[in-house]
Amino acid sequence: MTQSVSRRALLAVPALVLALAGTVAVVEAAEPIRIGAILSTTGPGAGAGIPQRNGLQLAVKLANEKGGIDGRQIQLIMEDDGSSPDVAVTKANNLIFSQKVQAIIGPTLTASTLAVGGVADPAKIPVMAFTGLGVPLEKTRRCVFHMLPSQDLNARALLEVATKALGAKKLGVLHDSAYGNIVMTKIREVSPDYPVEIVAVEKWEVGATDATTQAAKVKAAAPDAVAVIGNSATPFRNARQIRLTAPLLSALGTATYEYVKAMGDAADNIVFAEFLVAEDPLPGQAAFVEAFRKEYGVLPKTMEASAWDAFNAVAAGLAKLGADTQPGALCEAIRGPFEGAMARFDFSQEDLTGLTLKSYVFSKLDKGKFVRLPFKAGS
Amino acid sequence: MLFTQALLAGVTNGFVYALVGLGIAVIFKGSHVINAMQGELAVVGAATAVFAAAIWGLPLWLAVVAGALTGMAIAILVELGPIRALFARRAREESFLLLTVGLGFTFSAGVLYLFGREEHLLPPLGDEVYEVFGAIIREHALWVIGISAALILALRLFYRHTHLGLSMMAASIDPDGAATTGINVRAMRTATFALGGLLAALAGLLVAPLIGVGYQMGPLLTLKGFAAAILGGLSNPLGALVGGLVIGILEAMSIVFVSSGMKDAVALTLLIVIMIFVPDGILGRAGRKGG
Repeated sequence: MTQSVSRRALLAVPALVLALAGTVAVVEAAEPIRIGAILSTTGPGAGAGIPQRNGLQLAVKLANEKGGIDGRQIQLIMEDDGSSPDVAVTKANNLIFSQKVQAIIGPTLTASTLAVGGVADPAKIPVMAFTGLGVPLEKTRRCVFHMLPSQDLNARALLEVATKALGAKKLGVLHDSAYGNIVMTKIREVSPDYPVEIVAVEKWEVGATDATTQAAKVKAAAPDAVAVIGNSATPFRNARQIRLTAPLLSALGTATYEYVKAMGDAADNIVFAEFLVAEDPLPGQAAFVEAFRKEYGVLPKTMEASAWDAFNAVAAGLAKLGADTQPGALCEAIRGPFEGAMARFDFSQEDLTGLTLKSYVFSKLDKGKFVRLPFKAGS
Repeated sequence: MLFTQALLAGVTNGFVYALVGLGIAVIFKGSHVINAMQGELAVVGAATAVFAAAIWGLPLWLAVVAGALTGMAIAILVELGPIRALFARRAREESFLLLTVGLGFTFSAGVLYLFGREEHLLPPLGDEVYEVFGAIIREHALWVIGISAALILALRLFYRHTHLGLSMMAASIDPDGAATTGINVRAMRTATFALGGLLAALAGLLVAPLIGVGYQMGPLLTLKGFAAAILGGLSNPLGALVGGLVIGILEAMSIVFVSSGMKDAVALTLLIVIMIFVPDGILGRAGRKGG
């Protein structure tokens, strides 16, 4: 009898110690840092939203593997706005007021950025939007930062490479009725600064199944180069099918491997104004490219890199803050230069992006493969 | 030369619209249901074939058959399930339209989930490119035109001269009368949807090498196909061809002679004018008589 009691007592001691240790451990485990994300992973915006999600999830995963920020793990709360600004606002309200996130990464689309900014900026929650600065109103939202160039800059980049690298004097433009329309307006505004004449402008509607006739009209004007602006591979194919042989130019939205596959044989002799050529990365981009390839088995492009940078910019701001959690403090901590994989940003600039013509990396599609061009704009 | 190119593009597009409109006309003819998800079924058919060839490594012809059968199978399931349920409850036309619109969204989301966000291209039926008065037409486009014409002729013969075709029409025109003559009305409606689904999948398969199908394309294809079918007279498969060609050529000419920015405004305005003069559609009267 005495023996079993003492054995039980012996067992009780380590059990008690372990229980106490467990309690202490729970108390000492730091609270995770909550970061929200609103991306368009379904709907028309999914073409950009899904690569953004991939880049973001990788960035968070690697940051957590390295121990998080100040010993605290990062908890990413991912939301899909379905490419709808109304849904984006609902998600933003939930993330900011219920989930109490410290920052929001996204949205993917312009309309959602405008909507979410209206909620987040007064609450001083930083938003890292995957859009270029648009309407002047956005300049007043000092907590909404932009990871992509404005359309004005995109237009200039296209004209720079067309006139200085390709030597084009006559430019044709094929653009879609949404994104392409915006860029075309900027091209018209900016083209007087360049020695180029715009000889043909034709439009196709978003989702159109064919743009052959429009391409034929552009071909009839005999341009030296043709800018094709819009999120569809169809006009590229149509242009090549009717033997439009001039080099084609396009923006970063179409510079992805999915589009290359959809273009088929037409994926040749196309010049892009983008930011990341993973086959031949700039020194500051190599680490990201390698990490992405290791995780997903494919190479990243601009969208993946922009999301990676968005998270890391927020993380850098958080690391700077330390214990300072005043509302608006994180916005101020982010507001400054940031060396990203996509480009060097400067969120303290008036356009809340800090990208310049020099930030662009120009590439050319050569029989379906991206080749980085040595051309540098803005020099 | 620009004019010729525009004309060829317009005719090719016209046949694309006609193919989608054909399925819509067939389903309407056999069940009076307006199938607002015809375009999505076309996308599903094409995406399945691409998937079967790329992922399962099936030879192309087998992948194409798989795509066609998938479109047909989904249409059959839709009929056996929700459509039949709505008929049993004596639902009105609006309910069917709402149902097919909703199903369209569902299939579109399904295609995004299962097949991804890219545009899918199928290999064409022939790589030749022909020059006609300085304009280019691809060999595959000629195949599309030829196969569509054959399909329309086959459908005409089917509805006029085969027992199944006549029964399907009878079941639609007068279900009670058809039932008294021993026709299984419900089975005929399933057959109509099967045929419509097959035609949708064929449309997607024929068109994928030309335009590349993606998860967002369904509604636009449905809209154009619908316009083609109505313009031609909704019950008449041949009408879908006429309607499709009118729309395709009007669009192309609007681009050439007005501007690409005004294309839809011009083409659709002309469409409205045509409909005012022939409200039953261009071949509508013939369709009423079972043409």
